[in-house]
Amino acid sequence: MLSEFDEDQRLWRSTVRDVLAKECTPALVRGAADAAADTGGPGGQRGCENDLYSHPRRHMPLEALWQTYTNLGWTQLVDPSEMVELAILVEELGRATDPTPFLATMTQFVPLAPGVAGAKQSGAALPEGITARRDGDGWLLDGTARHVLDGDRADWLAVVTTEGVFAIPAAQASVTRVPVFDPVLHVAEVALADVRVGGDNLTGADPEKARHQALTGMATTMVGACQRVLDLVIEHVRTRQQFGAPIGSFQAVKHKAADMHVAIERARALAYFAALTIAADDPRRRLAASMAKASAGECQSLVFRHGLQLFGGMGYTWENDLQFALKRAKAGEVLLGTADEHRALIAKENLTLAGVDSRAAHV
Amino acid sequence: MQLTFDDDVEAFRAEFVAFLDANLPSAEEADRPSRSSADVPEWARRWQRLQFDAGWLLPGNPPEFGGRNASILQQYVHLEELSKRRILRSFNPQGVGIIAASLLSFGTPEQKRRWAVPILRAEITAALGMSEPGAGSDLAGLRTRATLDGDHFVVNGQKVWTSGAHDADVILTFVRTDPDASKHKGISVLLIPTDTPGVTRRPFGSIASPDDLDFNEVFFDNARVPAENLVGKLGGGWAVAHGSLGHERTLLWLIFAERLADLLVDFRPVTTLDEDRYATLVMDAHALRWMGSAALAREARGEQDVPALSVLKLFGSEAAQAATEAAFESAGAEALDHPALTGPLSHLSLEAYVSGWFERYARTFSGTIAGGTSEIQRTVIAERVLGLPRG
Ligand SMILES: Cc1cc2nc3c(=O)[nH]c(=O)nc-3n(C[C@H](O)[C@H](O)[C@H](O)COP(=O)(O)OP(=O)(O)OC[C@H]3O[C@@H](n4cnc5c(N)ncnc54)[C@H](O)[C@@H]3O)c2cc1C
Repeated sequence: MLSEFDEDQRLWRSTVRDVLAKECTPALVRGAADAAADTGGPGGQRGCENDLYSHPRRHMPLEALWQTYTNLGWTQLVDPSEMVELAILVEELGRATDPTPFLATMTQFVPLAPGVAGAKQSGAALPEGITARRDGDGWLLDGTARHVLDGDRADWLAVVTTEGVFAIPAAQASVTRVPVFDPVLHVAEVALADVRVGGDNLTGADPEKARHQALTGMATTMVGACQRVLDLVIEHVRTRQQFGAPIGSFQAVKHKAADMHVAIERARALAYFAALTIAADDPRRRLAASMAKASAGECQSLVFRHGLQLFGGMGYTWENDLQFALKRAKAGEVLLGTADEHRALIAKENLTLAGVDSRAAHV
Repeated sequence: MQLTFDDDVEAFRAEFVAFLDANLPSAEEADRPSRSSADVPEWARRWQRLQFDAGWLLPGNPPEFGGRNASILQQYVHLEELSKRRILRSFNPQGVGIIAASLLSFGTPEQKRRWAVPILRAEITAALGMSEPGAGSDLAGLRTRATLDGDHFVVNGQKVWTSGAHDADVILTFVRTDPDASKHKGISVLLIPTDTPGVTRRPFGSIASPDDLDFNEVFFDNARVPAENLVGKLGGGWAVAHGSLGHERTLLWLIFAERLADLLVDFRPVTTLDEDRYATLVMDAHALRWMGSAALAREARGEQDVPALSVLKLFGSEAAQAATEAAFESAGAEALDHPALTGPLSHLSLEAYVSGWFERYARTFSGTIAGGTSEIQRTVIAERVLGLPRG
């Protein structure tokens, strides 16, 4: 195995970086955050169903950004064999705190419902909370899915049930955006009241395999967000002076920065390992996806703590862009299972894969 | 990025596996274990020489230096097979991994022939003389003096920690040749045969036992060393040190990767908390290999990125330490005496692997101290990888 990007992958990453530097700027992200905050502020009456800002089609810069992505063909990276390329993209989007529903669409919805959405459409996934009941030659979908990422601004929903995975137009659901602490994040409660579906709505997707893609996507985006925190910290501690010296020359500061770097390298390694097992449909993909998510979770914990601490009072302000990356990374930890939950899966999965001799499963 | 290997790499693996099956020394042959990191019993010398002559010792090298010009992925599967079976290539790991490697980078053709090849063929063994009582983390503060006198250097001073020196034939010794030059510029490197008059070695016990003799104090009292034993340029020792530390950190992280692989087998989680800590080990083992594969690829291309190796050294040593502590605690009071599980070929792995959990845990501190402490690695990463100001 070899973890180095090849020529094409390096080129792809730099292309993505260039686009995002121009199009998904900190000012644009701040604009999205301020727009959300203006509707009530933290704890206020933000995010009711009719929220002006709850749909990207109403928020022009985000609409334009989404158009840019789709025009560049980014929403066509739907084949699991392209998971590494998608991961590269998603890492950079995490680094830029992408405010569009790209992550949910491409790593959560599409794997559950390949080929359903149009190239310009968005989607969200409902992995739990909904039941399917036989009704003549079809089914009735009923229940409520909570904390659905971008559920409030999806064109399509992929619904996982014991009867199979169904894709339905989001208009058939009753969707409420939930007010959350992270102003850039869209999370919704999605209720289905006996929505009738037929065999046409069945996607045939394997929800377990789709879960691996969702986990890897979330982990990779968290890695990107953590990298952004470290980038900002490095910039800050090199310039901020105290006691007549840059604070980055103090060893307590240096060692925190070094630990952040090591944690990010570890999480990034496991994120791409997972992406590659998915691209190759390797039997280790289940283990790898949990490792990616768990290590990204451990990484953000350290990066959040050290990152905010090293900024001093500046990091505690609304003015500072650090907050967006911090919140993106931390929110990811509690979506799709925390690090603790995945560690429990990892131990079992590794012992299972290993059988008698755990080296058989070892890289 | 690659997860699986192409046919040529798998064919290479099969060839190596066949070599191992045909040639591994048996337990009966291995009539005594190695006592120090430069003590190589006859049977282990034969084993190392066999690998060298067949081009399996360092497959990436050209045949004259124990290899077969193997590609990076071929070298990777070679290490993987050794690790899977818990096989040590050499019982003089510093000799092969650091000293011979440094000679191949910095030595003259004559020095490669006279010293590097014999070390690689286990005809002689070597120790690394960097640290001194006053120069540990601050290696550049070393004071052992070498003065040119005709065609010899006259060496005076003291080294300490010199692993295996009492069993070694030669010590790669870092000395100060110009006391007036700045700290880093006045350093040179000499190959000092241990039978040189004026060289005294005094082994002392480790944390494991007074009889575990690997550490040495080495005293130089007007030891006369031929000028031709200068490695690299006069005053160019810091560049050699930098290269040697790079080789040392590569050697070390590969050892940590093996330790983590061993722990995956030996640590059997019992409680839910054990499983949680075991999961961290599973992640660390995968991450270290995966991160390390990029470093191996760089090395195969001849690129030097020593600061990046600090990441692997720091991460690997601390991961191995944490996992060993978890295994120790999981064993409960049994850990006080319980012998660790061993692989089928324990005579081909390090002595540490046959000791109990307590000893294994104590020995993990060699990883976080030797080759530059974890604190020093963090500073290196901050300054040389992340670009923070010195101070
Ligand atoms: C098992 C083992 C084998 C060894 N084998 C060899 C060998 O074969 N050849 C050889 O030459 N040497 C060898 N060494 C020596 C090793 O390289 C040194 O022990 C190491 O470099 C640390 O030096 P020191 O022991 O003098 O500790 P010190 O330098 O005194 O360090 C003590 C503590 O202070 C911390 N510290 C020191 N300076 C700083 C700083 N600037 N910032 C922050 N913290 C700092 C250290 O991190 C450490 O925690 C070996 C050591 C061990 C443990």
